[in-house]
Amino acid sequence: MRKHKRKKQIGAVGGNENGFVTRESDGGRKHKLTVIHQALIRDPVDIEALRRAAAGNGGLLTDELRRKVWPKLLNINVYKLPPKPGREVRENHKDYNQVVLDVRRSMKRFPKGMPASERAVLQEQLIDIILEVLKRNPQLHYYQGYHDVAVTLLLVVGERMSIAMLDTLSNFHLRDFMDPTMDSTKHILNYLMPILEQVDAELHDFMIRAEVGTIFALSWLITWYGHVLSEFRHTLRLYDFFLASHPLMPIYLAATIVLHREKEVKQTECDMAMVHHLLSHIPQDLPYELLICQAQDLFEQFPPSLLAKRAALQSRKSLSISSFQAFHLSTLHQRPDSVLQRLTRAQGYTTSRHGLEASPPAARGQLWREGNRMMKMAVWGLSATLGAAVFAVAQTAMDWGPDLILQLF
Amino acid sequence: MAESGSAAELSGSLTSSALPPPRTRIFKIIVIGDSGVGKTCLTFRFCAGRFPEKTEATIGVDFRERLVEIDGEKIKIQLWDTAGQERFRKSMVQHYYRNVHAVVFVYDVTNAASFRSLPAWIEECKQHALGTEVPRILVGNKCDLQDSVQVGTDVAQQFADAHSMPLFETSAKSPNSLGDGSYRDSDHVEAIFMTVAHKLKSQKPLVLSQPAEGSGSTVTLSGGRNDDGGGGRGWSCSSC
Repeated sequence: MRKHKRKKQIGAVGGNENGFVTRESDGGRKHKLTVIHQALIRDPVDIEALRRAAAGNGGLLTDELRRKVWPKLLNINVYKLPPKPGREVRENHKDYNQVVLDVRRSMKRFPKGMPASERAVLQEQLIDIILEVLKRNPQLHYYQGYHDVAVTLLLVVGERMSIAMLDTLSNFHLRDFMDPTMDSTKHILNYLMPILEQVDAELHDFMIRAEVGTIFALSWLITWYGHVLSEFRHTLRLYDFFLASHPLMPIYLAATIVLHREKEVKQTECDMAMVHHLLSHIPQDLPYELLICQAQDLFEQFPPSLLAKRAALQSRKSLSISSFQAFHLSTLHQRPDSVLQRLTRAQGYTTSRHGLEASPPAARGQLWREGNRMMKMAVWGLSATLGAAVFAVAQTAMDWGPDLILQLF
Repeated sequence: MAESGSAAELSGSLTSSALPPPRTRIFKIIVIGDSGVGKTCLTFRFCAGRFPEKTEATIGVDFRERLVEIDGEKIKIQLWDTAGQERFRKSMVQHYYRNVHAVVFVYDVTNAASFRSLPAWIEECKQHALGTEVPRILVGNKCDLQDSVQVGTDVAQQFADAHSMPLFETSAKSPNSLGDGSYRDSDHVEAIFMTVAHKLKSQKPLVLSQPAEGSGSTVTLSGGRNDDGGGGRGWSCSSC
């Protein structure tokens, strides 16, 4: 079924605001929303359906859905989010200066129309998020580009959920990049050329002759393309895909991008500088839906285990790859949010000390009305709770019939 | 990576008169220094003729180039802008030290730590066979921020002399810029890179650039540095 679905997607290139292919009828979108909501309220949560939705055509469609689905993809209980970091998070951290330096100059990552004051609040949160995760995981080392991942999460799910997500990602998908050295990262990059060799030996040989290396794809890999894409919606679309995929998937996507530009590459002077220059500047109008399908196909055709048999890739173990199965298994038995909320309450767990999740509904309403920018930022953290309210309704609707769910959206 | 053996053989034959006339010589210059000292700003300024509005952290290596004319000869200056964070230089940037003709060390005059890192950067270059035989220059950036200067010109000059490098002080945001996007090099950025280019041009026969026609037979020349143990011609040019 999956194969069949993909075939259908190949021709679809254009996208609307959310990257959803306009050629698909509104019914397609509605159908997808239903599928996602049904998967979210299943007990246990239908994680495979969520993965298919996140990777499939158009990804997760809206930020509202991302706030519900992203935590599930990483096995995060939104009712037990880490507390907001205090001032002490900035004290005595070896990476503090580097983090501040990188975050303060990462203005491009924020929406263009965002007022400077609002951006400044988010930048401070970004510093806190990064340092908090690093403090919780002393074995992890900050790298330039980590802030590009963190900001993508922050802009969608808010401060506290970002900490939870970044913590999990850092221990699994991004783990290899966070070693004391970049040797493991280099190892992961070494998967790129063998994939190209399998698909287009001529292109592969050209790139070997040019001695271009693979550093042109370094920022793609370690920021999940967040550093190089200027349209945030494209970054989000790719994050949907990568959050639902194997940690090596960004490399497979890199391969499809190089293959997509095969003609341009071959017409370039066979020289390290020229080829590096061409490839490191990623075109902003790439057919993402098509490339995502192709990356999935390449992954199935030439899985990492097959590529790893090649001599160059045997010498090193990747923590991201070796821990992926355990991570995958851990996501299979998640309870839906409505149940998690009940359980959390039953345990007497309260987040009121830490944040806004437990604030009474009246207070929440007041927050919305405040309209104050700082408050708006804080309200991001509420979305998980508000989402749960929608699910309570959705669950009731499910009892009556799935058609009713459609009317909710 | 590939073909360094055959490249060494070819570099000999390239100096013979059997070659087609040269097209454009290429000078490869690597720009290194601590994170945040303004490497991206400087290279962008030289290649684009203006300062970038905002720069972000460089991840890995960025490449910029500009065609200049020196004594009637057109020369392509390639600048390799590198990531400052230490973890990148250890295993990532290595690849780009190869075939480099000159090195520009950058520190931030308002950041003493970035000046103190210079010996480590110089050592790093030596490990990649970029020693004193390669033209090297020292750039102290952000000299417009006079109130917060931590590295005085005299100290920097002493250091530059000790390592036989010319010193330039410049500013990533020159107060003397003309405001219309053009600069009459009040910031010395032109002078910095042109000094390097003149130095390279005056040096002995750099291997000439090879026209790229027929990409299939294009050769990459590694200049012999990796093959002959770095004997005496470390800055020899590569081309392809």
